[in-house]
Amino acid sequence: MSNLGNILKKELREMFRDKKSLMMMLIIPILIPALVIGMSALFEAQTNKPITDYNKIGFDYELSEMEKDIADNLDIKVISGSTEELEDKYSNGEIDLYITKDGSIYTINGEDNETSTYATSLMDTYFATYKEALQTNYLASNNINPTDVTSIITVNKDIKETENFYGNYIVNYGFLFIIMAITISATYPATDTTAGEKERGTLETLLTFPIKSRDIIIGKFLSVSLSSIITGIVSLILMLISLAYANGSFEIYKDTNLMLSTSSLIFAVLVIIAYSLLVSGLCIAIASKSKTFKEAQSALTPLTFICFFPGMIAFMAGVSSSPLLSLVPFLNFTLLFQDIVVGNIDIVNILLMSLSTIVIITLVLVVIIKQYKSEKVLF
Amino acid sequence: MLEVKDLKKKFVKYNAKRKKEEFYADNGISFKAKDGEIIGILGPNGAGKTTLLRMIAGILEPTSGTISFGKLDYLHNEIEIKKNIAYLSGNTKLYNTLSCYELLKMCGNIYGVEESKLEERIKEISKKLNMDSFMYNRIENLSTGQTQRVNIARCLVHDPKYYILDEATSGLDIISSQIILDFIKEEKKRGKIILYSTHYMEEAENICDNVIMIDKGIVIKEGTPSEIKKSTKTTNLRDAFFTLIGGVSNE
Repeated sequence: MSNLGNILKKELREMFRDKKSLMMMLIIPILIPALVIGMSALFEAQTNKPITDYNKIGFDYELSEMEKDIADNLDIKVISGSTEELEDKYSNGEIDLYITKDGSIYTINGEDNETSTYATSLMDTYFATYKEALQTNYLASNNINPTDVTSIITVNKDIKETENFYGNYIVNYGFLFIIMAITISATYPATDTTAGEKERGTLETLLTFPIKSRDIIIGKFLSVSLSSIITGIVSLILMLISLAYANGSFEIYKDTNLMLSTSSLIFAVLVIIAYSLLVSGLCIAIASKSKTFKEAQSALTPLTFICFFPGMIAFMAGVSSSPLLSLVPFLNFTLLFQDIVVGNIDIVNILLMSLSTIVIITLVLVVIIKQYKSEKVLF
Repeated sequence: MLEVKDLKKKFVKYNAKRKKEEFYADNGISFKAKDGEIIGILGPNGAGKTTLLRMIAGILEPTSGTISFGKLDYLHNEIEIKKNIAYLSGNTKLYNTLSCYELLKMCGNIYGVEESKLEERIKEISKKLNMDSFMYNRIENLSTGQTQRVNIARCLVHDPKYYILDEATSGLDIISSQIILDFIKEEKKRGKIILYSTHYMEEAENICDNVIMIDKGIVIKEGTPSEIKKSTKTTNLRDAFFTLIGGVSNE
């Protein structure tokens, strides 16, 4: 076996026998199903809020028969009372909104919250229906056929739903979580194999071995990368399982297929591997400059944020992938994941991301190898 | 034959005013060691012993000077030289999650011991150092004495020509220290060159063929223990050392 193989074997043995390393490899992946199912349940609860949660409406005036019919048809539970009584009831949470009337001016009263938003939407429908009924009656009493006026123009809606908003949202979040899982998974073994080795005093032993610095660093890099790739793949598998479950369990995903196509899956794995290699190299480079485990962990904390936030912001701001952005580290991975989610993968962007990643990793490894050739690594 | 010529090592430190200050941990050290010879490197803490041995072991790069192992030197034959060295210091730590067997196997592989001979070699060393009872235990579960035996076993596995032992008995109990001293004597008989640094002067007096006394990075005396005692008109190396440095100072 070559010395690179010997170092890799040693690093893997140490890593897989260390409970903390294993925990860091799996802690975020096991949260992914909770994220997918939890967020799906939240979306569903918001989308399909039962009407009984927001249909108790107070009126400070007596409703006409026509108004009562409309309220009945819309499932509105009418509560009558004076303005003061309704104010009290609203404060106590007995009603969800209340309506006051001054001549022909109706005012919807309430506070800005989730329930009042739903209740206001319900009352908008109520008043639109009531207004239309009054207009129809008025036209009829003036011998005008109401349909001649109300149907003067016809507007049809033909908006095809090509993407499921919630579906895309949840899968994109899943991928952001995979990025976070890989970063955290790389941080611990990278710290342990560099600053940890220095702190434990085994680095001196390692440097006396007849091994080239190149073999030492590549062995360490490959072991940390392997740990990150395992985390990434486990995360992806757990995400797919939870998406399959969510797809069949929540109404919001009705008529939508959340599962990725085979080609999307292959590209997702490719992006996971590329990201794992990049983040492992960077973690080793930063941690190897530190003297102690604690110092290395502090130094790596900003990297955790840098890895996650550009992608998050790009996702929120709706930034799309482009050949130029495919060269920007960290951002390129999130943008490619977004393309994978919608099945719109551009091979050029994948190639540019791979090229940018290979260049950065090579530079990072050259710097670390140089550092390990120098005695400064000991101090 | 090992030859060290005018070896210097410069370090940079910061003074109280946070200004850079250069100083020589070793400043022109030269000596030769023949096959089957134990060379004692003696001196107080901070004398430059560890820096000297780390340079000879290839861990630190000298600022100037040369180190030759027969016809080989670090500039051209680093890997070849390291294959023939065993370095053991009081601070040498082992990989705790590996078992003794896994460590020895790994070291054997790294040093290029043939697979067919390696198993036999590990068995032989295990028997010699009485390690059979804990050979498959993880190093993290061993006592200090057992760990030190594993450390010695690690040094023996590739049957090196040169042993560099830096304060190897420091902090060990009398039994563990004796194991190391016995091992040194045995390897000397096998014609190995052993550099042995210690601040226990009595220990050095008992086992070393030649002694190099270092203080503040320079050699203050070199010779056999009897020559040094004779020239300083003292009865032991400890008194000889104090005579050479002009007594104890608070510096």
